[in-house]
Amino acid sequence: MNKPTPLELENLKWIIITSENAEEVFKRLEESGIDPVLWGLTDKDFELLAKNFAQIRNQLKITNDLLDKYKEYYESDLEDKNEK
Amino acid sequence: MFGSMRMIMIGVMVAGLAGAGAYVFKLRADNATLKANQIKLESAVSEQKELIENQKKDFKEILDANNKMNELVNVLKKDLENLDKRFNKKNRDVGKLAIQRTESIERITNKGSANATRCIEIASGSPLTDEEKNATKKSEINPECPSIANPKYIPY
Repeated sequence: MNKPTPLELENLKWIIITSENAEEVFKRLEESGIDPVLWGLTDKDFELLAKNFAQIRNQLKITNDLLDKYKEYYESDLEDKNEK
Repeated sequence: MFGSMRMIMIGVMVAGLAGAGAYVFKLRADNATLKANQIKLESAVSEQKELIENQKKDFKEILDANNKMNELVNVLKKDLENLDKRFNKKNRDVGKLAIQRTESIERITNKGSANATRCIEIASGSPLTDEEKNATKKSEINPECPSIANPKYIPY
């Protein structure tokens, strides 16, 4: 059984907007040819998002390691045969 | 009279010899059957012993795997606790910090986001780079998930 292909993710860019820099941020977006619209999160929700991602990452790691263990257990004979 | 007695005696002796011969043959056959049964039993015992040994080995491997999995769960839990600390250490308010030092917090956020993205790639099975494998200093590690990204790093 082949293992799932590891993820190759895109990096995204966070922009922090405050009441003071909002105008400047939107102006910069327009100047760069980007639609002047942003999806917003409060600082608390940003914190929750970071924690949610960390939990998903942990679960992914556990599941992936579990798969390795099962492969090791059920396919170690096959690997030995292939090596011979 | 004597002639018929001799005949009877000879008959009895021949019958006795034939009976003894047949008995010996039967004993030999029984012996062969017993030997065959013994071999079968020994083989069954040996198979059972092998089976028990394999079961013991399997049990130990499962126990080891479970222990390793528990260790992993604990270090991952620690990574999560560290993330929480980074947000809330000494009553830190990230929101207020972002208002005061917008650019630097934006830079830190983007760096952290890139690191967290790499952590997900690693968790999904992406092989570690040499840089990640050999990182031992705080400045070299991926602070979002050192437990899975930097195997040589020992927190200090």
